[in-house]
Amino acid sequence: MRQVPNARSEFTTGARAFVPLSMSIIPFGVVCGAAASTAGMTPLQALAMSWVIFAGSAQIAATQLFAGGAPLLVILATGAIVNLRFLMYGASLAQHFRSLGRRWQVTIAYLLTDQAYALTVVHSTQHPERQDHLHWFYLGLAGATWASWQLATIAGILLGSLVPPSWSLDFIVPLTFIAMVVPLLGDRAMSLAAAAGGLASVLLVLPLKLNLIGAALIGVAVGLSAEKLRVEA
Amino acid sequence: MSTVGSGPTGDLLVWSMIIGIGAATFVIRLAPIALLAHLELPRWLKQALRYVPPAVMAAIIAPPLFFAGGEPTMSPDLPRVAAATLAALIAWRTRSTLWTVVVGMLALWGLQAVLG
Repeated sequence: MRQVPNARSEFTTGARAFVPLSMSIIPFGVVCGAAASTAGMTPLQALAMSWVIFAGSAQIAATQLFAGGAPLLVILATGAIVNLRFLMYGASLAQHFRSLGRRWQVTIAYLLTDQAYALTVVHSTQHPERQDHLHWFYLGLAGATWASWQLATIAGILLGSLVPPSWSLDFIVPLTFIAMVVPLLGDRAMSLAAAAGGLASVLLVLPLKLNLIGAALIGVAVGLSAEKLRVEA
Repeated sequence: MSTVGSGPTGDLLVWSMIIGIGAATFVIRLAPIALLAHLELPRWLKQALRYVPPAVMAAIIAPPLFFAGGEPTMSPDLPRVAAATLAALIAWRTRSTLWTVVVGMLALWGLQAVLG
């Protein structure tokens, strides 16, 4: 039964790896589309967020800041800080994709998400013999993620305006993030970073909607300190 | 201090925001893949970046539990805090976004109906 891995089979394997992820990505995309559209963006703008930015957390943060009347510079800085984590993913993927041409690197970079990164690393650890076709696995997985994200955004744009506010569907945003953050909390330093970020976001009173940036920096500082104390203890 | 309103507004603001964040995000995504093929990020930066997701996500989760309806208040919105706590337990047990969202929403609606 064992087939020799080739580009097409790895692409299919990658696309199939998306199926369980779709349960989290599709609802999140619907939320992003609905939030952008209820914040007052045109359908074209709401959809452009999903294919130009293609990063749910930054899209939600930017949408909320836009709805709250934050200045452009704060929105841009917040979006960039929320996405800084991609530096870490890219640095880790770079060793796998260093021999690829520029066009592949640009495609891989554009499609990079938390999920594509995590599953690609898992796949490459489990199947070191398929290393030569890892970029095809990535393309199948990240391509399926991209297409579903766009369709989910469209669904959100269409549905967002139909649902009355009394249904409290905005609550799906924190719920989606709870589902993403809870699995990270196995480690004490990570839990402390989350606790500090959450507390600071509520208690900090910063001008110009700088709260998210301030809270993120405090959370990172607390996480690092906790790690340092643990190492020294 | 207050520069709000002096920047672009309306359509121009939205497009500047989309293109600006999109461009910054693309550079952040591409730079390490294109440039770091043989280099390593400094250790302190790698360590710091690990804590960005939990800190940012918690900072996105917390305010809507207090600021229901968009109005800043210092008192927690009881149904929302209770529903979020239940959702966190479900997330811990099931690791499923779908179940977390479904149980959290049902809990919120139930609590809102009961507590008015």
